[in-house]
Amino acid sequence: MSDTNRNRLMLVIAIIMAAIYLFPLYWMYITALKSGSEMFATPPSFWPSEPQWATYAFVWESRGMGRYLWNSLVIAFGSVTLITVLGVGCAYVLARYRNVWVDIGLFLILMLQVLPASLMITPIFVGFSQLGMLNYPRLAVIIAIAAKSMPFFVVLVRATFMAVPQELEEAALVDGNCWVGAFFNIVLPLARNGILVSAILIFMQAFGEFVYSKSIIQAVELQPASVGLNSFMGPNTNEWNNIMAYATIYVTPILAIFVLLQRRIVSGLTSGAIK
Amino acid sequence: MKRLLSSVRDGRGFDIVLVAFPLGFLFLMAGLPLLYNVLMSFQEVDMFSLGTFLRPFVGFKNYTDLFAQPETWPILGNTAIFVIGSIAGQFLIGFGLALFFWVNFPGASWLRGLFLVSWVMPGLVVGAIWNWILSGDFGVLNFMLRETGIISGNIFWRSDPNYSLYAVIMANIWLGTAFNMILLSVGLASIPGDLYEAAELDGANAWQRFWTITLPMMRSTIGAIISLGLIFTLQQFDLFAAITSGGPNNSSNVTQYWAWDLSFRQYDFAKGATISVIMIVFVMFASVVYVRSTRHEVRG
Repeated sequence: MSDTNRNRLMLVIAIIMAAIYLFPLYWMYITALKSGSEMFATPPSFWPSEPQWATYAFVWESRGMGRYLWNSLVIAFGSVTLITVLGVGCAYVLARYRNVWVDIGLFLILMLQVLPASLMITPIFVGFSQLGMLNYPRLAVIIAIAAKSMPFFVVLVRATFMAVPQELEEAALVDGNCWVGAFFNIVLPLARNGILVSAILIFMQAFGEFVYSKSIIQAVELQPASVGLNSFMGPNTNEWNNIMAYATIYVTPILAIFVLLQRRIVSGLTSGAIK
Repeated sequence: MKRLLSSVRDGRGFDIVLVAFPLGFLFLMAGLPLLYNVLMSFQEVDMFSLGTFLRPFVGFKNYTDLFAQPETWPILGNTAIFVIGSIAGQFLIGFGLALFFWVNFPGASWLRGLFLVSWVMPGLVVGAIWNWILSGDFGVLNFMLRETGIISGNIFWRSDPNYSLYAVIMANIWLGTAFNMILLSVGLASIPGDLYEAAELDGANAWQRFWTITLPMMRSTIGAIISLGLIFTLQQFDLFAAITSGGPNNSSNVTQYWAWDLSFRQYDFAKGATISVIMIVFVMFASVVYVRSTRHEVRG
């Protein structure tokens, strides 16, 4: 078999495998467009006979999705800002020095990265309620998410800083820059892309965060979209087309960002997590 | 004072400031809760004593009470099944896919990256989609299994105690496979190609090359991925909340969901804290394994 034929065959198999793997996603989009009766048809239809575009507007209105998504955005932007402000400098220092203290710091950070949110929420909730933080539920969630996700961010960004040659920085120092100046004028611009990709990863995580929001935010008008989706899915629901429309509206922006920046996200992810 | 200021502008002082704030923040928001968790597991905590630190100490009572409960051991067993099943599924499928995409063909890396959409989606959305796919009467999975003749009657994935845990495992395998595959691909790409050329010259077939080169060279990657898998599986909460809520009758309950359920559904914060402590010890153990297998990265 010639090389081009082999490549074509491999590509076809790969596309089939991707199609099987991504079927749940397809099913979400298709179900959202089905009518109430078509949804429960046996055998199920794999292409909607009459796409019900109005479902989206209906769900958006009836579930108050604008408010939910706004809260998700507030929480996601808040946590990304807090994590970036705190995490970039930390990652930079941990990338520059090689000594026992750095090793210990990294070890502690990696240990904190692994604590499951659903186990940490009990002490965080009790502690926050004692401090009166529950009166600012979204801020409390932002802080909790920041503490949970910052280690991951630091590990990823540290890998980026390691790739910035130290000679450039030394040259800036020789040219009369102070350390602060060298950091902001030389190192930070060079590491910008890596920081941006890591921030986007954190943003996507925070946008879908559930445990903390569910436990801390009691007021419906402050809850993010993940909690809204959870309360939409009662135990015996049969509004699956509406739920899938909700999920579609919620997840499509994230998928769009991901597909656009796929190559960078994948390489940023792999450089930090392992290697 | 002036020296202090100039050291902040010009040297180590600046670095220490940069690193002290985040570490202090992490200590306050992750380290202290951890210690507080341990403290609470030795106290009697109820709705009335929630606002004070000075709660009555009860020694190991929470622990003994916990293990006296009839559902504790089944839930621990479920957790073990969930962890082993998820990791095995994610790893095997992920490894298979990584090996397939390792054969370089045009479009391979782009298609491979596309698999990661499962990983960037909010867990609640993944749970909602699988909840619908796994639906008993109208679920598309039951339809496909019936059509291919694997089952004759519908399986009630979410409400049948024999299947509910496996329903969540299935969704979790889907969620985590892509991440495993990407990391394994990185590991595969770092194996030097001339090893295979040499082996081929010596007459080793593909099977032998896999067992004598690929697997041994991938050992540290595999170790890291399995321990990462353990960490991520023990973090999995959203799928339980979205698919089964731990039911029916705790048949799909696992410790990380149970701990939350005890604290926030039954308001038994002391029990919730007790389970958390037990599980966090497990997770810490996994993370030590993970840190050890990525040590060369950590040391730079």
